[in-house]
Amino acid sequence: MITCNALRWGAPGQPLTPALDLTLEKGSLTGIIGANGTGKSSLLKVIAGLQKPLAGKVSVEVPRRRGLSFLPQQQHLDRQFPISLQELVAAGFWGTQLTPPQRNERLQAVLEDWCLSGLEHRPLMALSGGELQRALLARMSLAEAPVLLLDEPHAALDEDGQALCWKHIHAWHDQGRTIIVVCHDLASVRHHTQHVVQIKSTGCVFGPSKELIRPQPHMQVA
Amino acid sequence: MHFAAHLWMPFFDFVFMRRALIGGLVLACSTAPLGVFLILRRMSLIGDAVAHGILPGAALGFWFAGLSLPALTIGGLGAGLSMAGLSAWITRRTGLREDASLAAIYPISLAAGVLILGLAGKRLDLLHLLFGSALAVDETTLTGMLWVSGFSLIAMALIYKPLLLDTLDPLFLQTVSRLGPIAHGLFLTLVVLNLVIGFQAIGALMVVGLMMLPAIASRFWSRRLPVLIAVSAVLGCLSVWFGLLLSFYYSLPSGPAIVLVAGGGYLLSVIFGPVHGLLRRPPLLTSQ
Repeated sequence: MITCNALRWGAPGQPLTPALDLTLEKGSLTGIIGANGTGKSSLLKVIAGLQKPLAGKVSVEVPRRRGLSFLPQQQHLDRQFPISLQELVAAGFWGTQLTPPQRNERLQAVLEDWCLSGLEHRPLMALSGGELQRALLARMSLAEAPVLLLDEPHAALDEDGQALCWKHIHAWHDQGRTIIVVCHDLASVRHHTQHVVQIKSTGCVFGPSKELIRPQPHMQVA
Repeated sequence: MHFAAHLWMPFFDFVFMRRALIGGLVLACSTAPLGVFLILRRMSLIGDAVAHGILPGAALGFWFAGLSLPALTIGGLGAGLSMAGLSAWITRRTGLREDASLAAIYPISLAAGVLILGLAGKRLDLLHLLFGSALAVDETTLTGMLWVSGFSLIAMALIYKPLLLDTLDPLFLQTVSRLGPIAHGLFLTLVVLNLVIGFQAIGALMVVGLMMLPAIASRFWSRRLPVLIAVSAVLGCLSVWFGLLLSFYYSLPSGPAIVLVAGGGYLLSVIFGPVHGLLRRPPLLTSQ
């Protein structure tokens, strides 16, 4: 379960919104939406414990080890970094007790799941944006954490990639994991998530996705 | 045969050359992974800032205890770490850009070092402190270099994985482990330690060249991190070997000779290196 009590976040002295009170049940699938600069990604980082809240409290009930997995936006990765796709994905094994053959088997399965077979040895700089995004998602698959926080999982993915991404998110949800997705694609959020947190400068609204987001006649960017 | 003998002879015949060679080779091996990671972390300049920072500390050590290895090392270590720390602290607290903050530290440290040496008298040659001398590697210094190099290689092997992830994707590492800050801190300590132990043999300012030049050159030879580190170590060792020979045969100061050979290796890598080198066709637009 994830609980936020009178939570304020943002740059020091400049809280982005009025305080947020929120309780997300274990096993829920929640979207976070809002315009640019409203602090969606920052909220995700605060929940992940990567950024300190300005005020209030956030608590995430998970085991201390491998309890939480965070999908960052890919812009902060150095594309020139001299490692291969396989090495990037295999970082998801951090803290697991698998034997090398088990690891290899699991790694191959995950790479296949994310349509990355054959790209194992490709250096990071030679990957397309979509391939890198799928590699980051594959790393998240390996981590097998009960709480998953995804920042713009859609970014850089084509239509097939987006479908694949949502297919996996639903599979994770069916396994009982708690998932929060920050996403700009309102139609997708409305279609795929149960609840949504809408962040506005006037305050945050939490409710069922189908009620808070009107049906989208066209693809619309929030 | 005659030529080959020139490559070995000085090291067989003279103990001080042998000491300088062994010290230089182990230093080249232990600074290789440090230099490569400094570049990956976009902290190439910190080596320079720390090397300048070492000066006032080493000069103070000399003032109080004379030419003793522990005094120079402790002084250099304290000053190097505090200069690096001060620069990082100012950046964090005031938002001053990292490179500007480092650039402000250089002249302060250098001037303070020169001033203290001036006050301490002329007994320690400033040029020796800045640019080193192979003759300075005595038994104690060599033992110190072996310990530091051994320790940093083992420590780097232990923190390799967390350091790699902390460099590439610190947010991910923070969610799975608390080792990030520990690896980062230990890494910076190793950088300072290697620069301090290297400054007696190669000189405070020149040892940065031995750390950074092979690491930067290696980028033109591979796209894989372990290979980059290996290439960097080999280039560093070759620079030490040929630099010492140049210094021996032509009576040159050893530090600049070693760094200039490393510089030659860098220029050759820029031209002939298979990864984005100048002669590589077609030219690639991405750069590091």
